[in-house]
Formats: sequence, C-alpha cells, structure tokens
Amino acid sequence: MRTADELIRFYLQDLKSALRGADKATVQDALADAEEHLRTALESEGAEKEAEAEAVQAIISEYGEADEIAQAYKNWEVSLPPALVATPAARRVISGANPKSYPGFFGVFADPKAWGGLVFMLISLVTGILYFTWAVTGLSVSLGVMVLIIGIPVAIVFLLSFRGIAFLEGRLVEALLGERMPRRASFTDSSLSWKERLKILLTGKATWLSWIYMMLMLPLGIIYFTVMVTLLAVSISFMATPIGAIVMMAKDIPFDIFSSGDMVWTVSDPVGFMLTLLIAVLGFLIGTCTMHIARWIGKVHGKFAKALLVSE
Amino acid sequence: MVEIQETHKKFQKELSSGTVSLALLSILTQAKEPLYGYQIGKLVGAGDDDTAGVMVKQGAIYPVLRSLENQGLLSSEREMSDSGPPRRYYQATETGQDALKSWTGIWQETKTFVDNVLGGDYQ
Repeated sequence: MRTADELIRFYLQDLKSALRGADKATVQDALADAEEHLRTALESEGAEKEAEAEAVQAIISEYGEADEIAQAYKNWEVSLPPALVATPAARRVISGANPKSYPGFFGVFADPKAWGGLVFMLISLVTGILYFTWAVTGLSVSLGVMVLIIGIPVAIVFLLSFRGIAFLEGRLVEALLGERMPRRASFTDSSLSWKERLKILLTGKATWLSWIYMMLMLPLGIIYFTVMVTLLAVSISFMATPIGAIVMMAKDIPFDIFSSGDMVWTVSDPVGFMLTLLIAVLGFLIGTCTMHIARWIGKVHGKFAKALLVSE
Repeated sequence: MVEIQETHKKFQKELSSGTVSLALLSILTQAKEPLYGYQIGKLVGAGDDDTAGVMVKQGAIYPVLRSLENQGLLSSEREMSDSGPPRRYYQATETGQDALKSWTGIWQETKTFVDNVLGGDYQ
C-alpha cells in the first residue's frame, strides 16, 4: 500500500513524463500547480491518517489523468481558443497584453522588447558583477569551511541562494526580454528527507547550471554594457551636432566642420550647417540600428538564460 | 465504436475550450473575495458525474487560469496558508470584468443561434 505522499509523487512524475516535449517553463508551472492542488485538497478533505491514501486517489482522479492534464497545458500554452480570439474585445485584450513584434525598420522604437533589451544590457554590468562575486564567494567560502562542522550549513545556504537568484533572474529575463520563464519557484518534493534533498541540491544540474550562468554574466555584462553605452554615446552625440553648431554660432566660436586644402566649412556656413544636419540623421540611423541590436541580443540572451536556468 | 468515441471527445474538447474560460471568468467576477485553485475546482466540478459533458477535470482549469492571467483578465497572488502548502489566489481584473460583459453577449448570441438550429427553426 502506497502512502499519500508516494501517490502524489508518482502522479507528479507521470505528469512530468506526459509533458515531455512541452516548454520547460510550462512543465515547471504545471508541476507546481498540481502539487499545490493535491496537497491543498488533501489538507481540506481532512482525512484520517489511515484513509489518506484513499483520499489522495479520489483527489487525483478528480484532478484528471496525467495525459489529459498535460494535453490541457500544451493546448493552453499555445494560445486562446480561436473562437474567443475572433471577438474584438478578446483581440484588443490580447494585443494589449502580448504585443507582437513591430514591422518596419523604425517600428523598433515602438517595440517594448527592444527597450527591454536595452535596459537589460545596461543593467547587466551591475547584475553581472553581483552574480559573479556571489558565485565565486559562495563556492570558495563553502569549499574553504567544508572541513569544519559549520561547513555544511554554509554550503547549503549558498547553494540554495544560487537557485533563488536563478529564479529571480528568470523573472527579470521574462519581464525585460519577453522569454517565457518559470513563474513559480521550481517544485521540491516536500516528502523527501533532508538528506535526499541535500543530495539533489548538491548533484542537481539546476544548481550548477545556475552557477555557470552567474559566472558567465560578468563577461557578458561587460560586453553588453560596453557595446550599448558606446553605441548610445555615438548615436546621441551625432544627433546633438546641430545643437552644438547653433550654440557655437551664438557664441561666435569658429569651428571647422570640414576642411580639406583650401576648402573650409565652418558651422556658420550654410553648407557646414547642412553637414551637421546630415551627421544628426546618421546618428538617428545608428540609434535605430542600436535598438535592433538590443532587441536581437535580448532575444538571444533569453534563449541562453532559458537553457541554463530552467532545468525541468 | 472507438472512432465515434474519439469524435465525441474531440467535439467536447473543442466546445469546452471557450466555455471554460467564460465560466472561470464569470465565477471569479462574481466571487466577493479572491479564490484559490482548489476552491474554483470545487465550484466548477460541483454536480454529479452524469453531466460529465460540461464538466472539466479540476487539473484542467489551472492552464486556463494561467492563460486568462497572461491576458490580463485575472490577477493572482501567492499567499501562505496557516496549514498546508501556500496557495495562489485568483481575482478578476477590471479588464476581465469588461471582457466578461462582451463574452456574455457572444455567449447569448451563440446560445440562441444553436438553440434555434437544434429546434428546427431553420427548416
């Protein structure tokens, strides 16, 4: 006779295998939903200890076969049913909540994903430094005090923090880059003994992939930040050229915008001023390209984050 | 016979995918306070097994809740419970309440149309 805990665990395993091939984040969410439901139901039914296993069987049968539930998640993850998408209200709601990519070269300025990518790249220097420092400190302190009795609790705290940071980074990635990431912290089997849990924590792929991600975020953060700041600085300063020219004209400062042999155009010449306008247009084009780059890197980084941070 | 069963299932699935959204949105709009999944499941599943055609498995409402939340029609919050695991409470947003009005209208039209056809009004 299996215990209630075992039944729940087996069901979750069935569900996980039935969801094979689905989006990793969906799998994690589905398992979290199922565990919450089954345990809440068991709690609410208030069955006697001896009758718990039977109660769980009834609860699971009401919850639905693993295959059936897996199918429901797969269906719903894709989209709304067509019947509802067709209504104007639903369409308005959907387009508001889930913007599609914007067409055209300049449409990128209206795309939240491009702006999200830009912000992500700018803050990645800070998050990268924090993650890297924490990852290195955590591992070296843990290894260093391993010989002492306090070594184990210290290591556990650091390993758990890697998981926690991975989850938070996932939320940041989804918010800024639009890549679907888990919305629930990954499901831990609460019936396991602490030794088994410790083993999962220590040998689990998720812990170490999160650690690798945190380490890699430093070089990536430096690259992202440098590229973004350089491009933004060039683009904005180019766009500001005509303003600079006007200021210099007002203060009567002669400034050669172009000189070659006898030909000299200062900013107060009509031709020279036209040149500054051309530079401004060029700056705007560079700015637009920068937005495209931000959107592209955001997309690629989203995939990368998903590969390392979502392990189900 | 197996094939006919499959056809029934397919029809039932197609029919329920929209109606379940409508039902959940309606339940959460009418509810005076936020509800968690298990409570909603009880409300949806209340009834006997004879009417299995309309009912959904309790587990199948979670992806729908999630999808409605993604569209901004519902909001949710995770709260610790005094006993047992933490629960996620769902609530209809203002957008959700507006959407329910339009959806109800569509539902009425659909219902009238189907009733008329089934009742032979188009003969």
